[in-house]
Amino acid sequence: MALLTASRPHRGSRLGRTVSLSVAGVYFLVPLLCALAFTVGIGDARQTPSLGAYAAIFTTDGLAQSLGLSLVLAGATIVLVFGLLLPALLTVRLAAPRAKAVVAVVCMLPLVVPAVALGAGITTVLRWATDWLYDSPGFPLLAALQEPGFPVILVLAYTLMALPLAYTTLEAGLNAIDVKVLVEAARSCRASWFRTLFLVVLPNLREALLNTAFLTIALVIGEYAVSALLGFQPFAVWTVAISGSHAQLSVAVSLAGLIGTWLILLAVAKSGRSKAPKEKP
Amino acid sequence: MTASTLAPRPVSAGTAGATLEFRGLRRSFGATTALDGLDLSLEPGELLALLGPSGCGKTTALRMVAGFETPDAGHVLLDGADVTATPAHRRDVGMVFQSYSLFPHLSAADNVAFGMRMRGVPAARRRDRAQELLELVGLPTHGGRYPRQLSGGQQQRVALARALALEPRVLLLDEPLSALDAKVRQSLREEIRRLQLELGITTLFVTHDQEEALSMADRVAVMRDGRLEQCATPEELYNSPATPFVAGFVGTMNRLPGTLGADGARVEVLGTGRPVHGSLPGGRRTGAVDVLIRPEALSVGADPNGTALLVASSFLGATTRLTIRLDGGRTVLADVPSAGASTLPLGARVRLGLPERPVLIDQARNEETSA
Amino acid sequence: MSSAAPGAVVNRAAGDGTLRREPQAPGRRASRPAAGWLGVVPLLGFAAVMLGLPVAAMAAGAFTASDDAGTTSVTAANFAATLDGPYLESLLGSVRLSALTAAVATVLSLPLAHAVVTSRIRGLREAVLSASGVIANLGGVPLAFAFVATLGNAGVLTGAFGLGEKGWSLYSFWGLSIVYLYFLVPLMVLTLTPALDGLRPQWREAALNNGATGLQYWRHVALPILWPTLLSGFVLLFGTAFSAYATAAAMVGSSIPLVTVKIASALTGDVLVGQAGIALALGMDMIIVAALVMGVQLLLQRRTSAWLS
Repeated sequence: MALLTASRPHRGSRLGRTVSLSVAGVYFLVPLLCALAFTVGIGDARQTPSLGAYAAIFTTDGLAQSLGLSLVLAGATIVLVFGLLLPALLTVRLAAPRAKAVVAVVCMLPLVVPAVALGAGITTVLRWATDWLYDSPGFPLLAALQEPGFPVILVLAYTLMALPLAYTTLEAGLNAIDVKVLVEAARSCRASWFRTLFLVVLPNLREALLNTAFLTIALVIGEYAVSALLGFQPFAVWTVAISGSHAQLSVAVSLAGLIGTWLILLAVAKSGRSKAPKEKP
Repeated sequence: MTASTLAPRPVSAGTAGATLEFRGLRRSFGATTALDGLDLSLEPGELLALLGPSGCGKTTALRMVAGFETPDAGHVLLDGADVTATPAHRRDVGMVFQSYSLFPHLSAADNVAFGMRMRGVPAARRRDRAQELLELVGLPTHGGRYPRQLSGGQQQRVALARALALEPRVLLLDEPLSALDAKVRQSLREEIRRLQLELGITTLFVTHDQEEALSMADRVAVMRDGRLEQCATPEELYNSPATPFVAGFVGTMNRLPGTLGADGARVEVLGTGRPVHGSLPGGRRTGAVDVLIRPEALSVGADPNGTALLVASSFLGATTRLTIRLDGGRTVLADVPSAGASTLPLGARVRLGLPERPVLIDQARNEETSA
Repeated sequence: MSSAAPGAVVNRAAGDGTLRREPQAPGRRASRPAAGWLGVVPLLGFAAVMLGLPVAAMAAGAFTASDDAGTTSVTAANFAATLDGPYLESLLGSVRLSALTAAVATVLSLPLAHAVVTSRIRGLREAVLSASGVIANLGGVPLAFAFVATLGNAGVLTGAFGLGEKGWSLYSFWGLSIVYLYFLVPLMVLTLTPALDGLRPQWREAALNNGATGLQYWRHVALPILWPTLLSGFVLLFGTAFSAYATAAAMVGSSIPLVTVKIASALTGDVLVGQAGIALALGMDMIIVAALVMGVQLLLQRRTSAWLS
């Protein structure tokens, strides 16, 4: 076998490739197709196939609120992630290379704390804070953190959970360009720091920034553990909550969310590729 | 040190190197033709440089010897035996790649010993032999270092030791110096040639650097668009290029306006007649042509009635390169002894002289005369 | 930290004249090193508060107990409880499930990622990588639903092949393993892709040129070079599987003995009062397990990858 693959490298590895891709294709597509079949009622003798579950997406109470909440939280999370990470990563490259290890460890540390444990910890902190701050000027602040319309505490938690992912994606993007040279070139052309950042550095990181943003959206939309433990009802929690009474609807909504996010990410990847010249002729 | 004392396994007596032969090699990648019928043969112990611009097919030819490419048609013969269908790992040829080919997770010594490990040579024997080879390439104390701890030149030395470790019948060098600094390139060039002569190993050396090819090779094969233009010793290639392409690719070449005589055997250039060497591409027999002359072949003398003007001069040591504009508008370069050049002031009218030798001619390039 | 920075930065600045040897040498910044750290401070502060406070609270809560009268006392009883009976069982069950699925996903992902990276099918790479990104990040709940519809008690495949009668249950260890692989494999493909891109074709050719067969190339060159990535990828998968909660929760099975499910049900108080301390202790157990695994990985990495430094 080894001799065969070596003497005819293309044929042997092509067979392996085909087998790998086919097996993976079946494993990954079948559950999605079955879920699709379930949402339209195919395969169940008691039901006539219909697109009712998908039509219900637009009429069911609670979906708009929960999805809206998730999207708003995602937007705020993205802003906070960039606001914290970009200055830190640029600082590491431009001014304080010795901070690199610290930043790397801090960004990877959230991986050690499971979401459920984080949720448990946050619940505890909030409960104790309520006891201590009751009737004090700090109490409204605490209430604002947990305002059901826009729970800031979830933004903070999601940001922490998104750090490892955002860090690796942005680092990869930064590794592909020489920030120091870019900044020095821009500065020597008398660009202000503000212009240097927004007209030179960030445009060069476009793809990494977009990727980070959409992966963060995916993470926030799918997040369940912390939101559920803290008693809020964003998208994922809502779909689970209604799954008992509206099984088809909940599956239809999750499926739509999954595929919609994928299409967006795919578009981002495509736009990134069309901008980059091919390496091989 | 001879080849036989290095051998990890018995070598047939008197192996001074193998012969290598290409017969009618053809290969296309989609619409592009990389090799268009290449015939070439290497003598035992010879270093032959395959020279040409990028995309001329030289690397494809070398990779066919290594077994990484399969020809659409034609054969590769090693010591007379057809190896075209032999898988790469049983070819018995050693290869040095352009760069970054060392296994990053293995130390220099383990890289050199890799092939012996694949063949099941005992560890102690491998270690000794790797050390021997590292000494051979001038890195006796670097065996324990990892590739990323070595400079580019050191990495290529290790790669050379690794390529030689299995005592291959043919050594393939795929632009091994192109990623190195000029100074390192120079010294490694001499080093490779010294080792090659010492081991007497037949070597195919691919390069796009004509200086490298001329200084190292026994013979140079100039390729263009998948075909062989000329294969000759460096001297012959430089002094009597077979085609205008070779003339232009090897060394610096001037184009002087000339007129081809009716018989096609003599050309009128700079007011004198010279015999024509080689043939005129395109089959033209008469009229305006370009005459190809090396800068050092031109002589320059001050002459108030001369038909040329000295516009620039740059001192190169023993010689000085003069830039001269002909009255027709063409610019030519002339390398003259520095002693004589100092007597010529810039802006002086000069007269160009030609040696009494056959010259190579090419179709006239009108765009240059108009420039 | 601002006191440590000046000396270091000045030291580096001294070597600034040696052109590009030290690309990160911040020569011009030597005069105001403290300002150099300013950009890092918000991130470090945020992490200290958002990570430090909950973990500290968890640790404190795990070591205290309050009796009926409302007085609190320091105790190790919560931890003792987590290392006994059903709690220990759930912890071990989580570790087993995570280790197994992470290992299987690591092994399966290698040929798959290799096939994706080397495939000449147009657009396959982008499609697979973006799908992996979505599944790995958004996955939990939708996947649970999809698998319930496929292999659940009333699932399409369960019905079609009569799996129910053959003793199949999605809500078992093996059922859950199949679901977990669905988001672990994509995560590993994402991790492996850059590493596979980094395998230079020259290495393969140099190996063949040195007489290695295709198999020997993988055994002696490619796998050792990929080893650090495989190792850290395994740890990432383990951590992800270990902390996964949404999938199990959406499959409506607190019957599944997973530590995350136990923590959540203890916290949400649908069991006895006073379980909060145990939930927090379980949370601490999880952090300890995750930290241990990561520590072992770092040790292994250092021992096996001297060539990387």
